[in-house]
Amino acid sequence: MIKYFINIVAGAISLMKGLFVTFKNLFSKAVTVQYPTQKLQMTERYRGLVDLRIEKCIKCYMCVKICPTACLALAHKETAEKKKEFVYFKYNMELCCFCGLCDQVCPTQAIYLNQIYEIAVYGRDKLRDIDLLNTEKYGEWAHPTVK
Amino acid sequence: MVSILTFIIMIAVGAAVLGFIAVSAMFLIWWERKVSAHIQTRYGPMRVGWHGVLQSVADVIKLLLKENIVPEDVDKPIWWLAPFFAVVPSVMVFVCIPFGNLFGIDLIARDLNIGILYIMALTSISVLGIFMAGWGSNNKYSLLGGMRSAAQIVSYEVPMIISMVTAVMFAGTLSMQKIVEAQRGMWFIFQPNMAVAFLIFVISATAEINRTPFDIPEAESELVAGFHTEYSGMKFAMFFLGEYTNLFIVSALAATLFLGGWQGPFLPPVLWFLIKTYGIITVLMWVRWTFPRVRVDQLMGFAWKVLTPIAFANLAVAGWILLK
Repeated sequence: MIKYFINIVAGAISLMKGLFVTFKNLFSKAVTVQYPTQKLQMTERYRGLVDLRIEKCIKCYMCVKICPTACLALAHKETAEKKKEFVYFKYNMELCCFCGLCDQVCPTQAIYLNQIYEIAVYGRDKLRDIDLLNTEKYGEWAHPTVK
Repeated sequence: MVSILTFIIMIAVGAAVLGFIAVSAMFLIWWERKVSAHIQTRYGPMRVGWHGVLQSVADVIKLLLKENIVPEDVDKPIWWLAPFFAVVPSVMVFVCIPFGNLFGIDLIARDLNIGILYIMALTSISVLGIFMAGWGSNNKYSLLGGMRSAAQIVSYEVPMIISMVTAVMFAGTLSMQKIVEAQRGMWFIFQPNMAVAFLIFVISATAEINRTPFDIPEAESELVAGFHTEYSGMKFAMFFLGEYTNLFIVSALAATLFLGGWQGPFLPPVLWFLIKTYGIITVLMWVRWTFPRVRVDQLMGFAWKVLTPIAFANLAVAGWILLK
């Protein structure tokens, strides 16, 4: 008989604890964001689209070699002053698996994955042959809050 | 001439009650979504109107326009009638719910002298709608839901009615309006044994209206949607309307029987009644979004081994206090 009442009281106390937790949550700030109007800032190491800091690139071809899906295409020529100059540096996003190996292997941190995450497009042609040398290439994808 | 006037008044009161029910149900659906969202640290509906207040309106329009699917093997008459059985008794209960008074007019459709008895009788009918839906759908999940609902409501009716009887004993009347008047000066809940009765009433009422943690008739994880699995469009909306109307009714009953109904200082009576009712509804929502669903055996055990004995003991104590 005593156990019966102890059970009831213990049950009531445990229910109170649960109610207290949800009550605290009720007045805490929401962790979700209002997506299209409010956007999250991706973290530093987020794997978005492949991007290039042109001035840092030494044309070593490490990224091209390590890319498991061969989505990078690079060519260069040597000038009279023995300087390497880009012919093209293309990125095929259709093939890219966002593994980030190019980022890891790059000796000068020239190639990296940026923080753009809204990468849906209406046509495949927009994904193919993205010119990494063009600084405005992600202009229409980049959201103002994304650097 | 008098009869025509009476008829017009009847129609007007009926329209007012139906309008209130519809608006209240839509508000409660929005409010429940908001409360649940904030408990889960989300925002809830935000787009349709200010903080999503018009979301329910949009949902109702959607449900009205949806196709009414009738599965092939349903028991048609029963299947068609079930949603009405779920809604109509809840609407009828509004006849004797005292909303207070406005400009000297008592806002109660008819103050029956057997008010409580009438309400108890009608709230029990809504189980019939659920059971009919379960049987008529010709679907094992629906049938299980309906059976569970019948067992649950029959079990929880006992402690609920006994706790209501405690209030009736203290008021000495079955009329809702007079019960409120009996609480002038001191609400029933401030007496220790009535506080226990209030707790029992709220718990068993939660079970009575099939809300979590007692929502085993429509347990999503095991029974799809229980008795309303096969319903769509406006018929589904009617079950939904019935559910939220029942929620309002049990909260209004709790407010009337234990919290002094429309009585309170400073504010107008109607406002007091609505504040109390919606306060209890919010607490029920808080409970819903806190606790997990109980098992069927736990549910039955709780009703018969805990609530009913305590309710009976409480009734005896109330009798002793009154005779003392």
